[in-house]
Amino acid sequence: MKLNRLFLLFLAFSVVIVSCDSNDPEEPIGQYETGILIMNEGAFGVNDGEVYHLNQRLDELTQNVFETVNARPYAGLLEDIVWIDDRLYLVANTGKVEIVDPGTFESIGAVIGDLDLPRSTDIAAGKMFISDYGPFDANFATPDSYVAVINNVLGGTVRSKIPTSRKPEDLQAVGDFILVAGAEESKLEVIDALSEQVTQSIDVLGNPREFVFVNQALWLYSTAADEVYFHQINTSNFSIQNTVTLPVASATGRIALGNGTEAYLITSSGFPDYIDGVDRVDIASGTVDTDWIEGSGFYGIGFDRVNRELYLANANGFQGNGDVSVYSDSGQFIEEFEVGRAPSGFFFY
Amino acid sequence: MLLGFVFLWLGLAPLQQDTVQMDAVEIYGQNLERFSKGMKVSAVDDRDLENYQSRSLGDLLQETTPIFIRQYGAGMLASPSVRGTSAGHTAVFWNGLPINSPSLGQSDLSILPVQAFDQAQVQYGSNGSFLGNETIGGSILLQSKADFDKGFKAGINTSVGSFGLFNLGLTAGYSNEKVSFKTKIYNLEVENDFPFQDLGLPGTPERNQDHAALSQRGLVQDFSWNVKSNHQLRLSYWWNETDREIQPVMGSAGIDTQRDRNHRAVLDYFIFGQSSTLNFKAGGVFDQQEFNSNLNETDQYFLSADWEKTFSEKFTLKTGARYSRAEGRLSTYTESENRFEAYQSLLFNPGQTLSLSANFRELSYSDGSLPFVPSFGLDWVMHQDNRSQLTLKSSLGRGYKIPTLNDRFWDPGGNPDLNPERSNNAELGFLYSREGDIAFKASTTYYHMLVDDWIIWLPQGSFWSPENIRKVRNQGVEFDFGLDGEVGEFHWEFSGAYNWAKVVALEDFGDEAAGSDRQLPYTPQHQANASLRVERGKVFSYFQGFYTGQRSISTSSSQILLGYQLFNFGLGHKGISIGSVSIPLSFQINNLFNTDYQVLYLRAMPGISYQLNTSITL
Repeated sequence: MKLNRLFLLFLAFSVVIVSCDSNDPEEPIGQYETGILIMNEGAFGVNDGEVYHLNQRLDELTQNVFETVNARPYAGLLEDIVWIDDRLYLVANTGKVEIVDPGTFESIGAVIGDLDLPRSTDIAAGKMFISDYGPFDANFATPDSYVAVINNVLGGTVRSKIPTSRKPEDLQAVGDFILVAGAEESKLEVIDALSEQVTQSIDVLGNPREFVFVNQALWLYSTAADEVYFHQINTSNFSIQNTVTLPVASATGRIALGNGTEAYLITSSGFPDYIDGVDRVDIASGTVDTDWIEGSGFYGIGFDRVNRELYLANANGFQGNGDVSVYSDSGQFIEEFEVGRAPSGFFFY
Repeated sequence: MLLGFVFLWLGLAPLQQDTVQMDAVEIYGQNLERFSKGMKVSAVDDRDLENYQSRSLGDLLQETTPIFIRQYGAGMLASPSVRGTSAGHTAVFWNGLPINSPSLGQSDLSILPVQAFDQAQVQYGSNGSFLGNETIGGSILLQSKADFDKGFKAGINTSVGSFGLFNLGLTAGYSNEKVSFKTKIYNLEVENDFPFQDLGLPGTPERNQDHAALSQRGLVQDFSWNVKSNHQLRLSYWWNETDREIQPVMGSAGIDTQRDRNHRAVLDYFIFGQSSTLNFKAGGVFDQQEFNSNLNETDQYFLSADWEKTFSEKFTLKTGARYSRAEGRLSTYTESENRFEAYQSLLFNPGQTLSLSANFRELSYSDGSLPFVPSFGLDWVMHQDNRSQLTLKSSLGRGYKIPTLNDRFWDPGGNPDLNPERSNNAELGFLYSREGDIAFKASTTYYHMLVDDWIIWLPQGSFWSPENIRKVRNQGVEFDFGLDGEVGEFHWEFSGAYNWAKVVALEDFGDEAAGSDRQLPYTPQHQANASLRVERGKVFSYFQGFYTGQRSISTSSSQILLGYQLFNFGLGHKGISIGSVSIPLSFQINNLFNTDYQVLYLRAMPGISYQLNTSITL
């Protein structure tokens, strides 16, 4: 997920809007272009992923936004929501990307077919790039991971596939380059969007998960068994110019950026105790607040920077609907409400 | 227990010599109705078995009984849900042998072709004391039928139909007074390239299913031998092999394939006394499932002996013991398990109108034991005259399910500390029948069941692990009726059923679902079916319809699948005679009104289809 990055993009975008000639007619903000989008991944084999919309101001929760607007189900496991150039890309790890208008949520395009297990997407040089684990082999390994290239930013068919290290996760466009978080083989890979070649493959500590912007600098969040790493990337040559190592054990890879240089990380002790937690860390000072929240079933996390509230999603064992708990930035529980199946992330306008 | 078994094996062999004439089903089946008083049991109509010859048991039960079959597509995995219980809560028997997979704890009814057996019965409700493991929601009993003294018989039957359906069956048999042989061979191919509206694509275009082809073949061999006037040996063997492309859920690409190979064999030896029957049974069930290139194999062996003795008109006793062994060679573990069971059944008829039964079972398995599983039932004929009869049926029963091999040993996540799932079932029903120009029969049953320690697999970090987490209350009313009569030269029959089931979790994972009065997922509250059949001479026609009410797709989901109703039509001739050869011919239209429906979310199902069946019998 790159919701925080998108938030920053949104800020940049807002600046552009504000700085526009005041004579330009301002586009009204659409119904879904405000508040919070809640990403419900859905259950494996059921493809019931969906987006819920929360209007905090009116305290209104709209269920199944995609199906309500488009009169057809999303029909996929919703892996990521990416906002690029006033379009929302809904990435399904079941093999497609749906593109909608953020205001109305009407479908405006899609990438269907010739994908395996897509994880995320971004755009560079007028092309769409989709990270994809590739097909499982007999041992459920994914030796043929790739980044798929689509010529049109509104989707279409996959034109080519660029082989990458195993299990690429997040993508980040920087100019005419696409950075790839190569999770399984601990790589930061750089794709030249024009030549569609991997031009650099950099070994990094941990398993890279997500690109985040902190203090306008680009960082790669990476997890290991006993530590997490924030690798600061030099965007002119893509070298790692700084690495912050924090003693956070069993991080799952889910992250939300908080106020300033703070971040909230989901951890899970796994079998047999299965204790989940949220650790609050400060990337600048290196402080770690272990088990700032403790519980089980934590599946998604987000931070509302406007209201300074943490949103924590619980999958409830994938049996039925999940729920979302809201906390203040001092850790005070505020409320809980029911959402769709397997809530896994948030998108804040 | 083992000593008892040996005692039965050795000690009771010399019995009285006279042959007792009993109905074949009663002897070879589990004597279900005889010892399960007060429980609802229904036999599948022979004509339904005929109409569904080239289809699966799953299709047959979905369309003709109130059992909800969770069908994952056309010809795909079909698991039964009886009275709102889960797929693993229904035991399936073939000639008295439990054939549910010991690793999965359930049967896939889509790979039990109707043409492979001769008779089928469904028993509703928990009956663990009489039938054993996994009989929580109900049981399905499949049987071969043996004929004696019929000479040589042979036949060939074929069906061709929409979406590339082609079925060919051959039967040949010979019987005299001493022996009976019957061989069946079948081969079914279905392309399943049916058109459907693909909800996973923008614009929801209609396209043809391209990954649901099915090919199935098998052989059934039955052999019976009257060794002496009061000794009989029966042997049945069933080989079935199914290759399938797994139909994907809409929105996903189809890449998976599955191959199932099943061998089942059962040997029975009967010694009939004047008022007793001694039965030794040995059997094996060998399953192999290859999903993509993942191979899972299980073997089951059964050895049992039981003795039934009628002491007087009023009192019959049946007692026996069984040893079974399951071996699993799964893709992530290899394990085996031994089980010992002893069981006793008592039948007491204090008067002409009252029958009482009591059943008890004791069981031990590798990780635990169930020392006492009882059930009690009664049938009371409340009213009887020369035209009509009213019977009250009532029973209290228990069911259980030992955690499957996967539940306990799957690596990672298997949980060896699981308890068996348990159920308590109570039911009360009335049966009414009346003879006359228009014959009428009807039954109503109310049931109340509690299922506790229901096992659910839950995520434990990076993998899933099962836990005894759910407690469920199932309540419902089942009503069915049948009417038949004559109008001029026409004979007509009209039958129907309606089911109401309220199935809620009293305890569950997460706060929302438990105690919220929400129906469990994929459990319709309302189901109904009806069928009209008209015959004139050898020509017959039928029209049947069934309705499945709305279902939610998860325990607390806002996603609701709407109810649907489907209709089938058939027209046929029982046998056009050409010389000494008789050629039955029938034509079927399934999903007559081309209804677009999903049994499970985003699993496409076929619209209207046609089928032509014919056979030649010598």
